[in-house]
Amino acid sequence: MDLIGHIKHNRAKQRQKKPIKTDVFNQISAIVRQYGLKESFLDIFDTVGDQFSAENLNLLRIRVKTPVVRSIFSLVAKEEYDFIMSIIHQADTPYLEFAHSPEEILLCKSLYRLNPAISREKLRRYHFETLFLHERVKRNRMETNRK
Amino acid sequence: MKPLFDSGLELVVESDFIYFPLLFDPDIEKEIQTVFHSGENTGQSNEPESKTVIKLEEKYFIKGFRLDALVKNYDVIDPYSYQTMKNECFRRYQLMREVDGMIVDGTLRTILFQVMPHFIKKNKGLKRKKLSDEEILDLVGQKIDIPESYFQEAKTFTDIAPLKEILKNIGNQTGTLELPENGLTSGRKLQDWFRSAVHAKVLADEVERITKSLQVRQQFSRIKPEHIATLLYIADAGALEIDGFGFIRKNADRKEYHVYKHSGDYVLKDYYGRNYLFPDCRVAVSTYMPSKPFVMEKYKHPFLLEYKSGQEICLKHFNPTDEMTTQRIIDTLEEGLTALRYGYDHRRRNGYHSLDKLWVHIPTIDFDDYLI
Repeated sequence: MDLIGHIKHNRAKQRQKKPIKTDVFNQISAIVRQYGLKESFLDIFDTVGDQFSAENLNLLRIRVKTPVVRSIFSLVAKEEYDFIMSIIHQADTPYLEFAHSPEEILLCKSLYRLNPAISREKLRRYHFETLFLHERVKRNRMETNRK
Repeated sequence: MKPLFDSGLELVVESDFIYFPLLFDPDIEKEIQTVFHSGENTGQSNEPESKTVIKLEEKYFIKGFRLDALVKNYDVIDPYSYQTMKNECFRRYQLMREVDGMIVDGTLRTILFQVMPHFIKKNKGLKRKKLSDEEILDLVGQKIDIPESYFQEAKTFTDIAPLKEILKNIGNQTGTLELPENGLTSGRKLQDWFRSAVHAKVLADEVERITKSLQVRQQFSRIKPEHIATLLYIADAGALEIDGFGFIRKNADRKEYHVYKHSGDYVLKDYYGRNYLFPDCRVAVSTYMPSKPFVMEKYKHPFLLEYKSGQEICLKHFNPTDEMTTQRIIDTLEEGLTALRYGYDHRRRNGYHSLDKLWVHIPTIDFDDYLI
C-alpha cells in the first residue's frame, strides 16, 4: 500500500463509528438507578456466598438477562458515587461490567471463583445464575470423574 | 430556574457566584484529588473568581453563574417565568389596575364623565341637568352589582404607604442589588432571594410608572372608597352598559373603545304606507379612528349595504374627522341613530335598498320579514 493509500485507510478507520465502551462505573450506576438500590444492598454481599453454595444444584432454570437502560456517561452526586464505588470494590472482578441486575452483581465473585476464564460473549449473553449453575455442575462432574 | 430551586439541593453562594454540588465519576474524582492535593484550588487565591471548585463541609461545589447576571437577564433567559413574576409583583403592589392609567387615559375619562352624561339623564322635569362625575359613579354603583372584592381592593388601592416605601427603597438602592450572604444555602432560600431580586428589578424598571401611580392615588385619596371600587370594576371589565348606553374596550394598548347606544325598536314606512318593525341594534363609534357610525350587530336596513355585522351607516352629509372629541362622539352616535330611525324617506326610497320590492330581477336585501 502506498503512502496515500495508507493515509486514506487510516482516515477511513478513524471515521468509523465505534461502539461505546462498557464502563463498570456507568453500568453499576445504571443498575443502581434502575433498581433504586440503597446502602443496605452492601450488607447482602457477605451472606450471598453461603446462600449459593447451599442452593440445590439440580435446580434447572434458565434466567434471561434483563436489559439495562444505560446513559452514555454517568454523573452522580457524592453519596451515590461513594455507594457505587463501594459496590465496585465489593464485587471487584472483571465480570462486573457484564452484570445487568443486582442479582448478577452479587453472583460476580462466586462465578469468577468458579471459572475466571468465561468468554466475554457468554457473559454478555447469559444470566450469571445460569452460568453459575452450569459451572457448578461442570465442576461436580469433574470431581466425580476424578474419584 | 424553578426546578433548580425546588430540587432541594444544597447550594453555595460565593463571591456573587452560585456553586452547584459537584457530580462525580471516577475521572472527575481523580481530577479533584489532583487539584486539591496539589493546592491549585485551595481557595487561598486572592481572586475568588479563580475558584472553579470549592470544598465546604467535606462537600465539593462547582462554579455556576453570577447571580446578579441571572437577575439582570432573566427577562431574556425565561421570558414566560419573568412575566409571571412581574405580574405577581404588580399584583402585590396593586399596580395591575388600569385605574392608575384612567386619569391619564383621557379616552375612558371622556367616555365615562363626558359622553355618558349626555345619553343618561337621571334628573327629570325642570331639574334636568347633566350628571356630575360623582353622580355618574353613584349611578353606576346603583345599576351594576359590583363584587365585594373590589371594595376590598379599593381600600388597598388608597393606601399609598407601600408605594411610598417602594419609591424610597428604589431610591436607596440606586441600582445596586444586595446579594445573598456567602456560604451554604438551600434552594428555597435562594428562591426567596431571587424573587425579591426580580421584584426589585421590575420595580426599578417601573419607577416612572410608580411615581405616576402615586400621584394618581394621592388624587384618589379624596374620592370615596365606593367610587374607587366602581372605577376598579370598570377598569377590570373594560365595558359598561347603562340605560341603553355603553362602551366596550377593543384594544387596551391603543386605548380603543367602541362607544354605543341602543336604537331600540322602531318602525319605518314603505312607499305604499306599509309598516316595518326594525329590531333593536347598537349604533357605535370607535374612539381610535372616529369615522362613520356603524351597527355592531348583524343587521339589515336601507342604509346598510349588506346583511352582516360592523357595517357603516350610509350618511350623505357627514364628514368624518380623525380628531376624537366629546362632541364628535356624541354627534356621530346621534347622526347614526337618527339616520336609522328617521333617515329613510318612503317617497324617495333613499339608501342602498328600498323597503318595498322595487327591482324584481336585481338581488337586494329583503325586508318582508319585518312587515307588520
